[in-house]
Amino acid sequence: MDTLAQLVLSGILVGSIYALMSVGLTLIFGVLRIVNFAHGEFLMLGMYGAWAMSRFAGVNPYVGLLLVVPAMFLFGMLVYKLIVTPGLDKPHLVIVFATMGLSIMLQNLALMIMSADLFDVPPMFGGRSLGIGPLYVKTELLIGFCIALGVTFAMRWIVKTTYLGKAIRATVQDREAASLMGIPVHRIFLITFASGSALVGLAACVMLPVFSVFPTVGLNFVLIAFVIVVLGGMGSIEGALLGGICIGVVQSMSSYYFAPAYGQLFFFILFMLVLVFRPAGLMGQKGTANLGMNP
Amino acid sequence: MSTIVKARYSSPGGASLARMPKSGTLSYFEIALLAACVGVLVLGIPESFMDVVLLSFLWGGLALAWNIAGGYAGMISFGHAAFFGVGAYTSTILSVDAGLSPWIGMWLGAILAALVGGVLSLVCARLRGPFFILSTLATAEVIRICALNWASLTGGPEGLAIPPVASLASMVFDSKQTYALLMLGYLVLMYVFTKVLEASRYGFYMFAVRDDEDAAGAAGINALFVRTAAMALSAFLTAIGGSLFAQYFLYLDPTHVFSLELSFQFALLPALGGLGTAIGPVLGAFAITPLSELLRSYLGDSVAGLHLVIYGGVVIVVMLYFPGGMAAALNRLAARKGGKGK
Amino acid sequence: MNVVLSRAARMVRALGMLAALALGSGLALAQEPIRIGVFQPLTGPFTKNGVEHWEAMQIARDMINERGGINGRKIEYVLADVPSPAAAISETERVITKEKVKITTGSGLSPLAIAVSQAAERHGAFHWETVGAAEVITRRGFKYTFQVGGASRLYSQAALDFALDELSRRLKIAPNDLRIALLWENRALGKSVGDGIRIHAADRGVKLVYDEGYDQFLTDMTPIVQKLKDVNPDVLITIGYPNDVILFQRKAKELNFYVKALIGVSGGYSNPELRDSIGNSVYGLFVSEFPPRVNPKALKPEALEAANEFFRRYEAKMKRPPAGHASASFSALWGLYTEIFPKAKTFEPSELREIALSLDLPMGSLPNGSGIKFTNHDWAPDKKDFGQNLRAAIGIWQWQKDGNNEVFPKELATHEPVLVPLPPWSQR
Repeated sequence: MDTLAQLVLSGILVGSIYALMSVGLTLIFGVLRIVNFAHGEFLMLGMYGAWAMSRFAGVNPYVGLLLVVPAMFLFGMLVYKLIVTPGLDKPHLVIVFATMGLSIMLQNLALMIMSADLFDVPPMFGGRSLGIGPLYVKTELLIGFCIALGVTFAMRWIVKTTYLGKAIRATVQDREAASLMGIPVHRIFLITFASGSALVGLAACVMLPVFSVFPTVGLNFVLIAFVIVVLGGMGSIEGALLGGICIGVVQSMSSYYFAPAYGQLFFFILFMLVLVFRPAGLMGQKGTANLGMNP
Repeated sequence: MSTIVKARYSSPGGASLARMPKSGTLSYFEIALLAACVGVLVLGIPESFMDVVLLSFLWGGLALAWNIAGGYAGMISFGHAAFFGVGAYTSTILSVDAGLSPWIGMWLGAILAALVGGVLSLVCARLRGPFFILSTLATAEVIRICALNWASLTGGPEGLAIPPVASLASMVFDSKQTYALLMLGYLVLMYVFTKVLEASRYGFYMFAVRDDEDAAGAAGINALFVRTAAMALSAFLTAIGGSLFAQYFLYLDPTHVFSLELSFQFALLPALGGLGTAIGPVLGAFAITPLSELLRSYLGDSVAGLHLVIYGGVVIVVMLYFPGGMAAALNRLAARKGGKGK
Repeated sequence: MNVVLSRAARMVRALGMLAALALGSGLALAQEPIRIGVFQPLTGPFTKNGVEHWEAMQIARDMINERGGINGRKIEYVLADVPSPAAAISETERVITKEKVKITTGSGLSPLAIAVSQAAERHGAFHWETVGAAEVITRRGFKYTFQVGGASRLYSQAALDFALDELSRRLKIAPNDLRIALLWENRALGKSVGDGIRIHAADRGVKLVYDEGYDQFLTDMTPIVQKLKDVNPDVLITIGYPNDVILFQRKAKELNFYVKALIGVSGGYSNPELRDSIGNSVYGLFVSEFPPRVNPKALKPEALEAANEFFRRYEAKMKRPPAGHASASFSALWGLYTEIFPKAKTFEPSELREIALSLDLPMGSLPNGSGIKFTNHDWAPDKKDFGQNLRAAIGIWQWQKDGNNEVFPKELATHEPVLVPLPPWSQR
């Protein structure tokens, strides 16, 4: 019984971190309706940034995020201006490929500048875990979980109550109408994209204490992020949290009860099932999938 | 005849780069290109370049195969490595374990791939846009993981090797030129098939479904059938290319044969060359394959990663600023020349 | 009166001219370098390995060239980057056909080794594989591929033998009662070593209490560690690459998974930077692979001298001692340059092949403790096998405070094992 509880607990904690990493993606998906295939590399950049803060400024990633998050926001703005804007009025395939090209560039720039070595930050809590009864909880994971929850509620609050949030929702529902109502749609896009990037930066700071960073680290996580976004429902932040936790638990249980060699098979199958039976995801709007790219 | 390829773009913000192809005769450009290909083979170029040439032919054929689903029927797939791998592994396993000639085995692999493609299409019938793309990706990953773990069948992560013993029956050749001929044959057949498809009624249905599914439905076209058939066809033809690849490289490894990088390549070449045209995928393959091979050869050992940074940059620039791909650019060039000539 | 050279003088003149001609042409031949195609992953996921091998290989070349080369001919490398098997095939083809090299070496890792040697064989090039361990490398009916570094079977055997013979004694548990767990990463190395351990365990009549593979992309090790905790083994033998090894170690610490001894096989456990990532808890871990440094008594004097020189140069350049696989690359090339090349005249693959097959060097002839004796369709377990070096030195070294020290087998060992059993996590 202890084993099961440990598996579920670990699954939830790790899953919440996956969710945090996916929130940015779902936001961008939901509002701009574009696929950012360089998402994994944004994460990688954020992790290197957090690592650099630790190595050169001597601050741990939870403090380092004060700089990393705004930096990633700016980076997101840059990418938006250079890559997304020229591609917006073109078929969506263009952005998909352009972001793929960006992904290749970023991976290899990291390789050239940082080399292929793995980098970590020194453990902050001595590498020990908290004990909750017979269960072990890694402190960094618990912090990550809390931040993920915090971010989810904060985003929800922003979207529901602030003007920005309303503008975003309007843009999602109907771009042209929103524009006619005086909403600067392109600025909303810019802010959303940059925010998505900033959120990935936040996730990176939370993930660095747990995972090492190296140039191709994005590959390990980008597919998970896509699965979570679809599972949770495109554009739904709560969905991303729920989806992430789902994936974490599924992976945990399947690796234990079945075979770890099959790794991601189970959640890909879960993913396919969701796509087939409820493509809008757990919390998305029904019918979103049928719209595809056309807003 | 001043246009190389007729193309018509739909309105900005619209769905695709629609194009009604001109049916019938080959343009001068196509004839010239074919002659160049044959010439390269016959004249005999340094053996070190033969590798790049035959890979370009192979990729041209594979790009055309992807284009049937992606460019013509509008079903963008990032999972075509699944079909490629199924073809490669099927013919190889049958050849190595059962002694069946790849000349036969490759058709079996192609049928299997077509089944996978058809089923995928039916199962994901309602999905569009990024959802569909992700479903193809997930399919390829599922197949990759299965191939990786089913070691008794596929050799698992250690891969499968084909004995390098040359014979016609086992489709293994000593001479690069023979391989190049084989790949050129594949390319030419694919091209002819594509042109025929374009001009056919079925081709017309594909374009209709791609450009405006609702209108097509209203006109009585069965979109589900059209899409499923397109995917199955594309899968079938990709698998053949996979078998040819296996016979040339003589070594298969699940991580690379079913990889996302490969899937991406299948889509990138037609996109760069010009989706929805017949010559586009060929142009894309002929331009990119030598470029990436050369970049790696000349820059690969100097500063690790630089050649891929350049490759990535090229992809970004071309996709953003030349969305019609090379075919469209050539068209514009020809149109201007034609105008001047008048 | 005409000056007519005396007969003797004419003879001297003729001899002089002949000598000049011979010297001249000899010199001309002597200038021409011996070109070798070198294939290493310098980009992509295996760059770490590739860079280390490349450094070691350069040192081998430099040392030989400084000694005057081979009969006056210098060794020259043609380097190509092979990040993946497909690239390996293309690059090997390119280097062989364009640069006209007939001798190749590499390749950093098994999947790359398989590809490079395949392409080399197609062109009849002589391939000297320094470290690739996959069994299949020597089972394909090739004629010119030589696997110098030893097959993965040896890694498996060393790990298991060490556990059953040495560890059981030190832990005071009878070999039959020793609970051994096997955890392997599902990639070429992991799978082949895992298979080897399973087979060897069966041979020795030992049953594994745990035998699981895991996917290379697994990001959360909790289920694996949890299961291992439930099984409670005495010894864990595991194979993985750096990223997942670090994840595993951290998770093991986090969940307080305790094992009396851990034997990692190559890959991530031999990564010099492991200590940076998991700190002092790396001490005590055992690694089955090429010995970084062997007992000087095990080596012939020339080999010892070469080894010391290699260590000096490598540490000066890389600021840390070489990993076992880097030593192995150096050692293998050293063998090629000192035992095969000096005997060669034409340097044609067929000639090199014959010389290689004729070698019968005992253990200790090469700087890393290996000998050379290649199979030639005369190996009892598999007659198809050709080119496998039966005298490759593979042993166990341990992460110790003063360095990575060889502890098994006795002949190669420089130190005794310490920290058996491992202390609990709180003390590491």
